[in-house]
Amino acid sequence: MQLAINIAVLAAIYALIACGYVLIYRVSRVLNLAHGELMMLSAYLLLTTASLFSKNPLIALTAAVFLSLCVGVLVYLFLMRRMTGEMVLAAVLTTVALGVLLRGLVVLIWSAQQQNPAQALGWANYSIPVFGAGRISAAGAALIAVTTLIYAGLFLFLRFSRYGIRMRAAGQNPLLAAQRGISLHVIYALAWGLSTFTGAMAGILISLDSGLDSTMVLIGLKAFPAALVGGLDSLVGALLGALIIAAAEVLMIYYVDALLSDVVPFLVLILMLIVRPWGLFGTREELDRV
Amino acid sequence: MSSREPRASGYFRSSYDQGLRLIETRTQWTSLIAFLLALGAFPFLATSFQLDLACQVFLAVIGSIALMLLTGYAGQVSLGHAGLIAAGAFTAGILFKEFGAKFWITIPAAAAMGALIGLIFGLPSLRLRGLYLAVSTLALHFIVIYLGGEYETKRGFSTGIVIDAPRIGDLVLRDRKIWYFVLLAFAAVTLLISLNLLRSRTGRAWAAIRSHETIAEALGIGVAGHKLLAFVISSSMTAVAGALFSYYRGFVSVEAFSLFLSIQYVAMIIIGGMGSLLGAILGAIFVTLLPYVIEYAVGLLPNARSYAGMLAAFNYSAFGIVMILFLVFEPQGLVGIWRRVQNYFLLWPFKQKPLGGGRR
Amino acid sequence: MSALLRIEKLEVVYARAITAIQGITLEAGKGEIVAVLGTNGAGKSTTLRAVSGFLGLDDARVTEGSILFKGDNLANRPPYLITKLGIVLVPERDKVFPNLSVVENLAASVPARGADRKRLEEMAFTFFPKLSELRGRTAGLLSGGERQMLALASAIVCGPELLLVDELSLGLAPVVVEDLAQRLVEIRGKLGITILLVEQNAAVALSIADRGYVLENGRVVLDGDAARLKNHPDIQEFYLGGAGERRSYRDVKQYRRSRRWYG
Repeated sequence: MQLAINIAVLAAIYALIACGYVLIYRVSRVLNLAHGELMMLSAYLLLTTASLFSKNPLIALTAAVFLSLCVGVLVYLFLMRRMTGEMVLAAVLTTVALGVLLRGLVVLIWSAQQQNPAQALGWANYSIPVFGAGRISAAGAALIAVTTLIYAGLFLFLRFSRYGIRMRAAGQNPLLAAQRGISLHVIYALAWGLSTFTGAMAGILISLDSGLDSTMVLIGLKAFPAALVGGLDSLVGALLGALIIAAAEVLMIYYVDALLSDVVPFLVLILMLIVRPWGLFGTREELDRV
Repeated sequence: MSSREPRASGYFRSSYDQGLRLIETRTQWTSLIAFLLALGAFPFLATSFQLDLACQVFLAVIGSIALMLLTGYAGQVSLGHAGLIAAGAFTAGILFKEFGAKFWITIPAAAAMGALIGLIFGLPSLRLRGLYLAVSTLALHFIVIYLGGEYETKRGFSTGIVIDAPRIGDLVLRDRKIWYFVLLAFAAVTLLISLNLLRSRTGRAWAAIRSHETIAEALGIGVAGHKLLAFVISSSMTAVAGALFSYYRGFVSVEAFSLFLSIQYVAMIIIGGMGSLLGAILGAIFVTLLPYVIEYAVGLLPNARSYAGMLAAFNYSAFGIVMILFLVFEPQGLVGIWRRVQNYFLLWPFKQKPLGGGRR
Repeated sequence: MSALLRIEKLEVVYARAITAIQGITLEAGKGEIVAVLGTNGAGKSTTLRAVSGFLGLDDARVTEGSILFKGDNLANRPPYLITKLGIVLVPERDKVFPNLSVVENLAASVPARGADRKRLEEMAFTFFPKLSELRGRTAGLLSGGERQMLALASAIVCGPELLLVDELSLGLAPVVVEDLAQRLVEIRGKLGITILLVEQNAAVALSIADRGYVLENGRVVLDGDAARLKNHPDIQEFYLGGAGERRSYRDVKQYRRSRRWYG
C-alpha cells in the first residue's frame, strides 16, 4: 500500500514538472533544460516571500508563484526571444547556460545550505494515514491534488480557450500562425510563463515536503525522461510517462538498490528511445524536424 | 586551418592533392616553428602553477577536439562527454587497482573502452537526431557515472581510487615539466589525427551527414557507418584524455565527472566556434582558464575572505553569463572574432564584407 | 479606382547576391481581383512574400522601391504587423493547422482590429457551407479541396482588406478549382475586398480576374485587362497552350515587339 502511495506522489511530482517541458517544447520546439533550475529558483523565491509576509503564508505562496511566472516571461523576453529563428540546438544550449547561471545565482543569494520553506511559513508537514495501512505527507497529498488540477486546467485551456488553440496552432506551424495574425512572441512568452508557473508549483511543493537545496535540479532533470517517454509534445503522454518512470523508480529502490534511484529514469528513457523514439503519444515526424 | 579557406590574396591550388597539404606556404612554416619553439620553451620559464594550468589546458584540448569532431563536424550532439571522460579514468583506475596494470596497458585499454562506449553511445544516433540524441547521451552519462559510483562503494573506495604515478624504468612521471611534454604530445597527436581525418574522405562524409543525412545517404555515403565511426573515434580520444587525467591527478572519483563537466565541454566548442579545430583549442583554453580568472577577480573584491566559500557559485554564474553572451552575440565563437580581425587586417585599408557573410 | 495596394519599382535581393525582382510596378484597386502570372522563378512568390513580410525568412530584402498599402510603406515590415493591417496570405502549401479541427483552425485566426469575429466566422461558413458539415474534423484528414476552402475561410476570419492567394489551383482537380474560383468572386462581391491571385494556371486566373500582370525573370513583361490578356497571342501560346504554331523567326520578333509594347 505504502508503495502505491509513494508511486502516486512521485508520479505527481514528475508529471507536474514534465508538463513544463511539454508546454515549451510543444509551442516552440525548444527543450528547456533550465526547467529544474527555474523550479529551484521558485522555491527559493518562496523562502524570501515567506520572510517578507511571515504573517500570511498564503500571500507568501501566491507572491512566490506570481514572481516565478514573471521570471518565466522575462526569460523569454530578454533571452529566448533572441534565439527564435536560430538553430534549435543553440536555443537548447542557451537554456543550459541559463541553468548554470541560475544555479550560481541561487547559491550567491541564498547560500548553499539546506533550507526549509515549510518552517519559514510556520507549517508543519503532517502525515496523514490513508486506507489504514499507508501514510501520506500533507505536502504529498497537496502535490497530487495540484497536479490533477493543473492538468485539468491545462487540458481545458488548450482545448477550449482561444489562446490555448492559438498556442497549439503556433506549435504546429509558426509561419502560418503568424500569417493568421497570431503574435508569436505573445504566445511564446505565455508558454514560458505557464511552464515556469507549473514548475514553480512543483518546486514549492517539493521543497515544502522535503526541504530545499540544489539537488532539486536533479529532480527536474529526472522528470525529463517522463516527458520524453510519453512523447515530448503530449500532455497525456507526460502524465503516463510520469507514472511509468515513478513506478519503475520506486519499485527498483524497494526491491533492488536505493542507489539506483538516479539512474532508473534514464534507463527507462534509453529503452524508450531504442524502441519508440518519439514516445508513447508523441507525433512521429517530430524526429526529422529537429 | 582545417576549413581550407583560401589564404592571403588568392586561391592558388591547381590540383586536388594540393588541397590535402597541411602546410602550404613559407609563412606558415615559419610561424609553426616559432610556435613550437615557444611551446618548448614555456616549461623552463613558467612557474609550477602556470605549468599546471598548461597541463589542464592540454587535457581539455584533447577532450574538446574530440567533441568538436563529433558535434562540430559530424553534427552529432553529445551531452555525455563527462561520462566518457569518467569511463576512461575509471578504466585506468580499475585496471591499476585490480590488476596493477601499467600505463602502457591502461591507456590503450581506456581507448578501447572509449571506443566500445562510443559504439554504445552511437547506436541511438542511428535512429535519433538532434535533441533526442543529446538526451540519450545525457542518459548514458548518468549510467556511466552510476556504474563508477557503484564500483567505488562496492569495493570500499568511497572517497575515490588512488593511482600511482606511471613509471618508465626508473623514471617516475611526477615532475610537472615531464607531464607538460607528455600531455603536449598527446594533444598534438590528437590534433594531427583529427586534421588527417578531416581532410580525407571521412571528414567530407561527416560534413555531408551534418548538412543533410538523407542527401548524404543518396550520394552513396554510408551514413550509419560514418556516424558510428565519429562516435567511436571521438569517444576513444575522450577516454584517453580521461585516463591521462586520472594519472595526472593521481586520483579518480565520480565527483569529478558531474554533468557540469559535460556542459563545460559543450561550452568549449561553442565559445571556441563550431566547426573549427582552432575553435576547439581556443575554447578549451578559455574555459579552463576562466575559473582562475574569476578566482583572481573575486580575490580583488573588498572583504574577499567572506566570498571564498562561494567561489563555485561565482564560477557557475560567470560561466552561464559567458556562454549566454557567446550564444546570443557571437555564435561563431572566438574563431569568428579571430577571423574577423584577420580579415580586417588582410583587407585594410579597404572595408568589405564577404558575400553572404554577416547576416542582417 | 483608387489603388489599395501599389507596388512601385520593387527590387528584392536574396542573400545579398541574387536579384529576384528587378523593378516591378503593379497596382490593385479596391475591390479588384488582380492576377499575377508567370512560370517558376518568374518572381511571383517573391512578390507575394515581399507584400506579406516573409522575405526575412529566406534572407531576402527589399532593396529598392516601395510597397504602398493605403499609403503606408510595408517594405521589410514584420509579418504579424502586416496581418494586423488587413493583408492576409493564403500560402501555397501548409495552409492549415493539421492537428486542429476545422472549428479550431478558424478560432486560431486573429481578426484585424475592430473586426467583428462572430460575423466573419458566419460569413466564412456561408461561403463554404461544406465546412460547417466538417466542423469537428481534424484538418489533416481533409481532402486537398477542403483544405483550400478551410484556408480561405480562416483567412476571411482574419478580416482582410487585401487577400493574397498563392497558387489557388496547385494540386487540385479542375472542377474544384473552378468552384473555388467562383467562391473568390463571391467573396469579393460580398466583402468588397481586393484579391491578389498568384497563379501558374493562367486560364483560371484570367477567367475571374479584372486585370493581370505577367512576370518573367523578375520583370513585368505584359499587363492589362484580363480579357485583353487572355486574347493576347503570347499568353495564348505560353500560358494557355493554344495554337502552338508560331515558331518562325518572325513570330519571335513579333513576341519581342509585343513585350516591348506592353512592358
